[in-house]
Amino acid sequence: MIKHEIIIDGSIGEGGGQVLRTSISLSAITGKPVRIENIRAGRKKPGLMRQHLTSIKAAAEICAAETHGLELRSNAISFMPGEIEGGDYRFDIGSAGGTVLVAQTILPILSHAKTPSTATILGGTHNMWAPTFDYLERAFLPLFNRMGGRTSAQLIKYGFVPAGGGEIALAVKPIQEKQALDLQERGEKTGANIIAVLANLKRDIANREIKAITKRMDIDKSQAEILHVDGPGPGNAVSVFMDYEHVTEVFIGLGQHGVRAEAVANSVVVAARDYILSEACVGPHMADQLLLPMALLAGGVFTTSDMTEHTRTNIEIIKHFLSVKISTKQLARKLWEIRVEV
Amino acid sequence: MKKNIAIGFLGINLDNGKGAKRWERWRPSVDLCNQDDMHIDRFELIFDSKYMTIAEQVRADIKLVSPQTQVVFNEIDIDNPWDLGEVYEALFDFAALYHFDTDKENYLLHITTGTHVAQICLFLLNEAHYLPGKILQLSPPKRSKPGSSGAVSIIDLDLSKYDAIADRFERERKSDTAFLKSGIHTRNAKFNGLIDEIEHVAIRTKSPVLLSGPTGAGKSHLARRIYALKKRRRQIEGEFVEINCATLRGETAMSTLFGHKRGAYAGATKDRAGLLRAANNGMVFLDEVEELGLDEQAMILRALEEQKFYPVGSDVQVKSSFQLIAGTTVDLVHAVAEGKFREDLLARVNMWSYTLPGLSDRREDIEPNLNFELNKYSVANHRKMSFNKEARTAYLKFALSSEAKWTANFRDLAASITRLCTFADGSRIGIVSVEKEIARLKQSWRLSSDHDFEHILLSVMSQELLAHIDPFERPALANVIDMCRASQSLSQAGRRLYAVSRLGRKSTNDADRLKKYLAKFGLNWQAVNSNTALNSGQ
Repeated sequence: MIKHEIIIDGSIGEGGGQVLRTSISLSAITGKPVRIENIRAGRKKPGLMRQHLTSIKAAAEICAAETHGLELRSNAISFMPGEIEGGDYRFDIGSAGGTVLVAQTILPILSHAKTPSTATILGGTHNMWAPTFDYLERAFLPLFNRMGGRTSAQLIKYGFVPAGGGEIALAVKPIQEKQALDLQERGEKTGANIIAVLANLKRDIANREIKAITKRMDIDKSQAEILHVDGPGPGNAVSVFMDYEHVTEVFIGLGQHGVRAEAVANSVVVAARDYILSEACVGPHMADQLLLPMALLAGGVFTTSDMTEHTRTNIEIIKHFLSVKISTKQLARKLWEIRVEV
Repeated sequence: MKKNIAIGFLGINLDNGKGAKRWERWRPSVDLCNQDDMHIDRFELIFDSKYMTIAEQVRADIKLVSPQTQVVFNEIDIDNPWDLGEVYEALFDFAALYHFDTDKENYLLHITTGTHVAQICLFLLNEAHYLPGKILQLSPPKRSKPGSSGAVSIIDLDLSKYDAIADRFERERKSDTAFLKSGIHTRNAKFNGLIDEIEHVAIRTKSPVLLSGPTGAGKSHLARRIYALKKRRRQIEGEFVEINCATLRGETAMSTLFGHKRGAYAGATKDRAGLLRAANNGMVFLDEVEELGLDEQAMILRALEEQKFYPVGSDVQVKSSFQLIAGTTVDLVHAVAEGKFREDLLARVNMWSYTLPGLSDRREDIEPNLNFELNKYSVANHRKMSFNKEARTAYLKFALSSEAKWTANFRDLAASITRLCTFADGSRIGIVSVEKEIARLKQSWRLSSDHDFEHILLSVMSQELLAHIDPFERPALANVIDMCRASQSLSQAGRRLYAVSRLGRKSTNDADRLKKYLAKFGLNWQAVNSNTALNSGQ
């Protein structure tokens, strides 16, 4: 059977890696071949970068896809998916790869396999430009599982840039019952806590971060925790978890050489405050992540604070693969409702 | 897709680092494997065995950031990494033993780490194609983005790939060859090829150059131009000294060349430096070198080899370093056979040997040279000289015909133009002057008719081939060619040439005998006659 390729312009919207990952996940699950052109056109370094390549290669392995142009700096790729094969996977991607990006790409795919799977991903777990493991575990997966996903994730080892050396493990069972997502209210606040992680660094850094956050936010010091972890290189991350009845959001600051602990903490506080002050259930990043499983499963509705270029692009790509109706409605200045009907 | 293979020195300072803190430092060899847009499939890490600990650490860290990169250890022994000879040799050995598979692999020579000497050696070996590939340089990440990867620059040392530079080289080269030809747009392909080669050699070699060719072919002129080119390229500092060896006869020969001490012989009233010393750090052109006496030849050889010699009557050696250009009109191999020229000196001067064709072998260059001579006269005499159209046509017609023997080659042509200009009314050369000049040229060539047979031979073979024929054979062969041209067929020529001996034979096949005789010189009936046709047609 000849299947016509879906052609995606890789430069649409902000034309980043999200376009690639969304397209590849959808292609693998729907079985529709895709060709992505003008990959990251107009960027300083156009074409496929290493972090994109690792995610696409992992997806290709899972669905035995036939690929063309899958190499660094390539500006066009073809992806012809085969059958999704459940099983035990291991992806060793190095620190530059970003394990969470790979996880986000393969999670929906493995959830559509016939049999359960496990996946071990080795590399960076806390990268500056990618979502961190905390976000994946505490914020995304609960919502994904609410829609019908049956996935758990475990952090075996932390891996901070630039050394990496981290490891995450996923256990994914096939979706059985699909559930529409209804996320229009956060519900009551059920808790808030802080976790500061240190690898090969002095405890003082974590103390200062926690101090800076508790001073400016309504979180009790007893809800703060310091975690000393092993790893090849130095690393520091501080996360604020805001738990509500229907949703958890995570705000993360990554320590950097030459950046004061207080500055790292402040960036977390600013992001968390923005969220608290808005009425939206999820931030723009989570909005991007939710669209794909909603469109694939039972649809639903959620509110978000912004309608970003990223989100629009995502919607456009989903419509290439699936006949779903996605409507957006601005309810207030910082409040949008996005509805997916399947 | 081709694999990327990095080859580089372990940076014993830059790549070093202890504990977790090492990740806060920029370590080029690790960073190289951690680039967003480039994957290193294999990293050939070169280091002295005493730095094994650092190498092990780097290998382990590369495995973390880029698990798919294979790190290969190449241990070498270098006592002093700032010793060019030692590092070059070590790298050369590495390159010689390494199995490069350029069809399947791209090589990137990583120069960010290692001493400057190591960088230089990588450059040199790359430029000389012992190490294929491109040069790769990393720069540290910006201060504003600590922890991120540094920038990569890839440099291709193949200069011919840089259009602007290639153009410039080509322009420079063309101007150099034009320079050697004194700006004359010569058309003879063989001559132009020869000049290209000389240009190539002239700017590189300090070894002797031998220029052979008939008298007036332009040997001395070319020698002067080579000198001027080298001077222009700042490759030579001293003077240009030109000596015609035919003028060095008798007692004074030695002292002219090598100088003498006061009182060395009667008449030597004061010290004389000699021409070779005058040419220190410069160039000596010995024209008609075959005329040099055997004693002088021995001295010249010694002066060439040791750059030292004894002036006549002196016990103290003097030094002079010069490049020798020798000119000759004869076949020096033959002169050696005759015992007139030293074999060892020939071997020495024969290193770069070029034969300049005579004017009759490059008639297409007559017109450009004619223009050149006219211009030269005009400049020297502040008078713009030119032919009128009719005169020019007539002169060229004669100059290109076989009637014009040009026995002294370009010297004849130059003299002829000078006469035409001198006798011209004002600045125009008319038909009358040309007709008179043609008569004068014919007359002068008739006087030198003892060279006629050479001319007959040169009409069927090149100067080089002629040089391989014994002077003994030359008149006979010329006579045979003449007879052939005067005959209707090979058989008729044969009957005439073997008129006596054929009478004593039982069976006669004169045509066959003649054919075999001609074949000895690489000639045949058609070649001999077609050339007649060609010449008379001109």
